[in-house]
Amino acid sequence: MKYVLYQLKRHPLAIIAILVILGWIFLAFAGPSFLAYTYTQMDSTFQMAPPGVNNHLLGTDALGRDILSRIIVGSRSILTVALFTSILSTILGILLGFSAGYFGKAFDTLFLRSMDILMSIPPLVLSMVVLGILGDSTIASLTLIVSIAFIPATARVSRGVLLSEKSQEYVQAARIRGESHVYIMFAEILPNTVGPIIVEATARFAYSIMMVASLGFLGVGLQPPTPDWGMMVIENRPIIADAPWTVLFPALAIASLVIAISIFSDFISKVLIHER
Amino acid sequence: MNSYLSTVFSKVGSLLATLLVISLIIFSLVELMPGDVAQMILGQSATEDSLRELRQARGLDDPFFTRYGRWIAGVVRGDLGDSIYMQGVPISSILWRKVGHSLFLALTAFIIFVPVSIVLGVIAGVKEKKAADSIISFTGLATMALPEFVSGVILISIFAVRLKWLPIVSVIPIGQTLFQNLDILVLPALSITFVMFGYVSRMQRSSMIIVMNSDYIKAARLKGLPERYIIFRHALRNALLPTITIIGMNMGWLFGGLIVVETLFGFPGMGSLLMTAIKTRDVPLIEACVLLITVIFALSTMTTDLLYGYLNPRIRFKGGQR
Amino acid sequence: MKKIAVLLVVALLFTTLLFAGGAAEQESTKKSLRVATQVPGLITMGIWDGQAFALNASIYEYLIEIDANTGELVPVLATDWETEDGKTWIFNLRKGVTFHDGSAFTAEDVKYTIERTQDPEVGHLKKNDFAAVERVEIIDDYTIALHLEKALPTFIYLFTDYNMGILSSEYDYATKGEMNPMGTGPFILKEIIPKESAYLVKNESYWDPELPKVDELLLYFVGDIDASVSMLESGEVDIVPQISPIIKKRLDQQEGVTVVSPYQENRFIALVQDREPFNDNRVRLAFKYTMDPQVIARSVAQMELNEGVFYNESFILNEQAEYLDIPFRGRDIEKAKELLAEAGYPDGLSVDLYYASDHPYGKELSQTIKELSAEAGFELNLKGFTRDVYLSQYWLNVPMCITGWGARVDVSMLLSYAYHSEGPWNESHMNNPKVDELIDKIKAEVDYDTRLGYYHELQRIFFEEGTVINVQVPYLVALSDKVIDYRQPLTMLPQYKYTDIK
Repeated sequence: MKYVLYQLKRHPLAIIAILVILGWIFLAFAGPSFLAYTYTQMDSTFQMAPPGVNNHLLGTDALGRDILSRIIVGSRSILTVALFTSILSTILGILLGFSAGYFGKAFDTLFLRSMDILMSIPPLVLSMVVLGILGDSTIASLTLIVSIAFIPATARVSRGVLLSEKSQEYVQAARIRGESHVYIMFAEILPNTVGPIIVEATARFAYSIMMVASLGFLGVGLQPPTPDWGMMVIENRPIIADAPWTVLFPALAIASLVIAISIFSDFISKVLIHER
Repeated sequence: MNSYLSTVFSKVGSLLATLLVISLIIFSLVELMPGDVAQMILGQSATEDSLRELRQARGLDDPFFTRYGRWIAGVVRGDLGDSIYMQGVPISSILWRKVGHSLFLALTAFIIFVPVSIVLGVIAGVKEKKAADSIISFTGLATMALPEFVSGVILISIFAVRLKWLPIVSVIPIGQTLFQNLDILVLPALSITFVMFGYVSRMQRSSMIIVMNSDYIKAARLKGLPERYIIFRHALRNALLPTITIIGMNMGWLFGGLIVVETLFGFPGMGSLLMTAIKTRDVPLIEACVLLITVIFALSTMTTDLLYGYLNPRIRFKGGQR
Repeated sequence: MKKIAVLLVVALLFTTLLFAGGAAEQESTKKSLRVATQVPGLITMGIWDGQAFALNASIYEYLIEIDANTGELVPVLATDWETEDGKTWIFNLRKGVTFHDGSAFTAEDVKYTIERTQDPEVGHLKKNDFAAVERVEIIDDYTIALHLEKALPTFIYLFTDYNMGILSSEYDYATKGEMNPMGTGPFILKEIIPKESAYLVKNESYWDPELPKVDELLLYFVGDIDASVSMLESGEVDIVPQISPIIKKRLDQQEGVTVVSPYQENRFIALVQDREPFNDNRVRLAFKYTMDPQVIARSVAQMELNEGVFYNESFILNEQAEYLDIPFRGRDIEKAKELLAEAGYPDGLSVDLYYASDHPYGKELSQTIKELSAEAGFELNLKGFTRDVYLSQYWLNVPMCITGWGARVDVSMLLSYAYHSEGPWNESHMNNPKVDELIDKIKAEVDYDTRLGYYHELQRIFFEEGTVINVQVPYLVALSDKVIDYRQPLTMLPQYKYTDIK
């Protein structure tokens, strides 16, 4: 812990990043309840209003909807999907990667082959096609499909760390003791591999946000009027000359979140890897 | 060298096997889609009889594996089927032109981002912790966080709307080819570049740092070789390898980015064709596009792997397993 | 190190500028008219649903057209016509007209076109309307008589409708109608890339030697209004027929571009009658009670109600002569909730609303009515698709939809299409014997005032138990200032033969 704080002091950028992330989480939870407008309310006399007009802190879009409310509500869905996606893909990755690394031989070959196949389709293409076929996307379907697309990456990392731990003494000791495979994998090995796995999970979080935003842009994200940040950028593109704030703020939202998470991910990897 | 060649062959072999499995997955996924194909072709006012006739003529009611076999047999022959959305036009006639456009766009993006990222990554690595490094690193981080459509929109508003230097929409006028309209490539290629620049320059930077601190380089310095010579003749060669890996690893993202960018700019390539196919539920077209994208992607990953194997003397000369 | 970086940046800039300057310059003395229109669905004459106006209006011709400025009937392939009793119609046809394939236009072709409407394999949209024709009599090569089973005074207007382009009796439209359409029109189709573009050239043998004014017509099929307008602003096209009011606002301030409004259009919000939830009239009324026309006018078109945007619960434009001004029922959320509860939906209900996302006003209107109706418990799930997909895959099979409809010169034509229980485009599945009866009466009634009475009665029925809400919006066309004499009458068929370019 002391070490973490020490490192934090040396990396002011990481502090800012953490604050930004916490800020977004807070906003997502608190919701726009303390604001003057809901995210669907159409203030028809103040369409495309610049920031500051009529209590619209970030202005309004073409239908008179408050941009700030829409961004905050949008943060909920994007954070939820990204969070669940990174958790789910990490868990699935651990399950598959550990099994492959631990049991080796046939299992491993099967795993590597399947990963090869899954990896032959670029993740965005895979998600886009499946979600497009399924029709309307829900938070559940988005999470599930994107997680599946991410499995090759997380599983590869998990397998890698498991392989490096496999030959350690404590593993041999547990085997001799007669512990079950499941116990060895999850009670013995897992705690020692937490570092790299968490680093990977945070990186996944950043990727998830970009993926979800891109899918929203392509039209297979959450349907209107649910404010999807990607959709906000694209639906306001036509009025970018008259009302640049309608595109700028959602774009900044996406950027700030991804940058913050990337910095945080870098920082975590420095801390955790030094610890070894 | 022989063992290297055999590696190549085995890779190609597994590529084909993979493609076969993928094609089956794609086919099943897409065929599961709800919607009556016959109705889509003939429109709302079609009579029951004409619908039935059409279904029979196209074998739409045949069992699953018969239809799959028919499709694969066609693909091998070069016949990708007919598009439903485009009134029965053979897909091969539309697809190849678009593939060419997309490849050209990807190439343009490559030509821009590879040299720029490497050079700036090298500079950042050599001038570690100095001003140049901070600027380059932060730029890389910032651009990495902007999905392609965001940077695309920003580029459009600056260069196309405000300055009017380049077209807003990438349209090829009737009767002309891409080569007569190269200006439509610029903004889309730049949008893709932004994201890739971040990844590649950061990797280049860190591998440069590691190499510059190695004993080998320190020895070269002691020998009195000029700094510039050290950087280019010695360090760069070694630092390049991880960069190639990173480029290879991010190919998947490049393809995704291609689709996003083509949709944003209306660029007439494979990505926007796939988007149209999905939106219009044009089953044969979706199947053809996804299959083709997979093939090209797999080929490019394989090429990167082989290139890495070739360049890395440890692998090339030992010829062992990776 | 720095030198290299500088060199690189310079090289990049140089290449970019090279590309930017490398765009091909169009050097020709030919006059071209370039249009960015919506993506067409089917284009075969008789079954096309209205996306292919620019294309079909240029390839085919009609017996009669409407003058864009006066609304009068203008002879085209028919030079004059007469009827004594409304039961027998005699047409004199224009001599010396040839089809694009060289064959001569005669009465045989008109007979073929009319009889084709009854062909069960075609699925012609005017089948019901022309079912009234008992017999087609060819008097000579250029004279034809139509004998109807009963007197229909407004029968003549049917020939101006966009699905009645005259076809050649010797051409195989069944197989060639989509890829090689052919008619007598001012432009010949040279090349068509499905869903992408069409290239047409001047018909040198056109019967009017002064027309068309331009040498070629280039149509770009673009599924995105903003992309089309970008093309207009950058000079790649000259005409964009179908823009939204937001774009109009922006273009009004721009040099070199004008926006015209040839006519008003309907946006029918269909509350489909033969399935849940709108099969219960109380639910339909509840929905109607949640509407606020003023908010709709502002949100959807940035205009004030009755100054460009109009509202009624009927099938007609407020500006048409047959309109009956029924006062707006007023927004009443409490009443709406009451009606819903009575109908068995005390906690509100959810329904899918389908619409064309690339059609002007579609997105805005759907989101506005979603917002307005939410207060009473209606939860609308918005499903937007590009118009050609919407029309070909969803439109007639959904519980609720928004569709753009052009008005008709003769209102009874629209009634036959959309509100008669056997109409081919009965999107709201209206099945009301009183309505059917009135529509038939209207078509057969010779006396104007009696007919007017029937129209009024019909509108009252629509108000009480109808299945439609009608938001009327201006149809907007953006033109480059180089375009001279753009004409588009209420038939929606643009008359590019008259249009010239500087």
